[in-house]
Amino acid sequence: MAEMDDGLVVETSHLTKIYQNRQIALNDVSLSIEPGAVLGLLGPNGAGKTTFLRLILGLHRPTAGWAKVFGKRMCPNAADLRRRIGYIPTNPQFPKGMTPISYLDYIARLFGMPRDSRKPKLAALIRAVDLLGHAGDPIAYFTPGQTARLAVAASLINEPDLLIWDEPTHGLDIEARRSMLELIKTLAAEKTLILSSHNLTDVDEVCNYAAVLNKGQLIFHGSLHDLKGRIRKNHYELDLEGDQKAITKAVTAIRGMKETVSALLRHRRLDLKLTDDTPNTAILAQVFQILFDNKVMLVSVRSVGMQTEQAYLDLVEKEENRGFTRLYQPAEAA
Amino acid sequence: MDSPTAVTKRPLNRLLPYWAVFQTDFRQTLRSWVYRLWVIMTILGAGGSILYKVGVHREAGIVQAASERSGDLLRGLLAVSLGLIALLAVSGIAGERATVADAVLSRGISRHQYFLAKWHSRLAVILLTFVGLAAAILVAHHLLLDPDVTWLGGVVAIALVAAILCAVTSWGVTIGALSNGTVMGITVFWIAIYGGLMLLSLLPEPYPSPDRFLARLTVILRGEFQPTLLWQVIGSGVGLGLLAAIVGLIGFGRKDV
Repeated sequence: MAEMDDGLVVETSHLTKIYQNRQIALNDVSLSIEPGAVLGLLGPNGAGKTTFLRLILGLHRPTAGWAKVFGKRMCPNAADLRRRIGYIPTNPQFPKGMTPISYLDYIARLFGMPRDSRKPKLAALIRAVDLLGHAGDPIAYFTPGQTARLAVAASLINEPDLLIWDEPTHGLDIEARRSMLELIKTLAAEKTLILSSHNLTDVDEVCNYAAVLNKGQLIFHGSLHDLKGRIRKNHYELDLEGDQKAITKAVTAIRGMKETVSALLRHRRLDLKLTDDTPNTAILAQVFQILFDNKVMLVSVRSVGMQTEQAYLDLVEKEENRGFTRLYQPAEAA
Repeated sequence: MDSPTAVTKRPLNRLLPYWAVFQTDFRQTLRSWVYRLWVIMTILGAGGSILYKVGVHREAGIVQAASERSGDLLRGLLAVSLGLIALLAVSGIAGERATVADAVLSRGISRHQYFLAKWHSRLAVILLTFVGLAAAILVAHHLLLDPDVTWLGGVVAIALVAAILCAVTSWGVTIGALSNGTVMGITVFWIAIYGGLMLLSLLPEPYPSPDRFLARLTVILRGEFQPTLLWQVIGSGVGLGLLAAIVGLIGFGRKDV
């Protein structure tokens, strides 16, 4: 049933979009997405994330450069390529006067699915996204959660190989968000995903690759591990428990270590920064030994520098601070 | 992990996306308030006019030729309807500007298929409605007034009006597809239609003018017409419609949505 086509799912080269000679939305973006990747597309508002996704979908035409999807150039008339893509926009809008059944039937027909395959599929999807009780209700009266679930069903009806979801957890309550993240994890096992999100915790949880856009430029593209690793600071937060005098004594001892850059104690939380010269495991072993010797209990330990959010913020800040050196040194990972 | 690049062969009907947009738009147009207003206005206007003429014909005894009254009524209805027809045509694509990219064009449909489906749908609604109403007016006049309308004359007159509407509707859909909003599109289109008609009416006799051709409807309805000239007019209307579609197909296929 399936024939294989070699290569990348998405590839862009010098992709640039300038709107009406007034706004540079995307600037010289070259990246590639391998099969099976779950790419988190990150960036502040106006960074060019949605423009990038619209160029990938062929909704916009590049001013310069090109975008290939499944090895073929994407263009507004490339319906065959879009048949292999499932898309959820930021705020899904639905045609007026439709119910989930009529909407999904319409979407399935837009993908060219004949009646025999689309009717069972849409019924199964309505059941899967838990809209069975609302299958005949007008979409106009749906809650944001129901709308999001319907958008998910619409993006999966054509059994796509590539999913492009633009802020899928936007506006969802905690339960719906959790459910969406679990779905993404399940889908990641067999599909390639591009997730645009402001929520770095979500990206941290489900993505294995990241691309960071800032003011239309790609400032990082690589694995999420690399993103976090490139700005590793050996910066930790330790929540301690025990006698206050013992804690103070232990912290004093930790401060005395030559590998300690700073050790600030706020109430019972120790903010600890270490040098990069020695392997962190060796230094942390010494720290834990000091705590043990002073009968101080460790409640929790958290790596501050390894958080995606911190990595992202540092990356954007670094890019902002480069100033005119951008002219001579291109962004490191782009 | 290489499964995501596998091309799964699924059953596919390539005409289905076109047909889905056509059917949906056809139904939505019939349900729109602009369409309903146009039909109600036409029925009320034509009904009132026919009743009045029947009264004059039968009660006052002043003979009313069906060809004259039908010709006048069709011209009047066309002039009044043109504004609403323009609205229906332009809003075909421009009216969906906010949702078309995310809800439709991001799926498995090409720009060309979408444009053709919208064009055909609006053309079908407008032409079928006008032909139906015009035929009803002709039949009513023929039955109730002095019957001088020939069968061939009636068909040719309706074809002439339909050809003009074909051009108007096609350019409306194209302008709607190329403009950045419904209001802008309609404004441009109204200026083009009414300005164009006024300019054409100022041209001397050998040059074509829809106004002059429509003034000859009375004669055409009686079956008196020059076939060559008539086919030229109908051909021009259809040709202008096709030209509009080509411009729309190329322009919309290159537009950011």
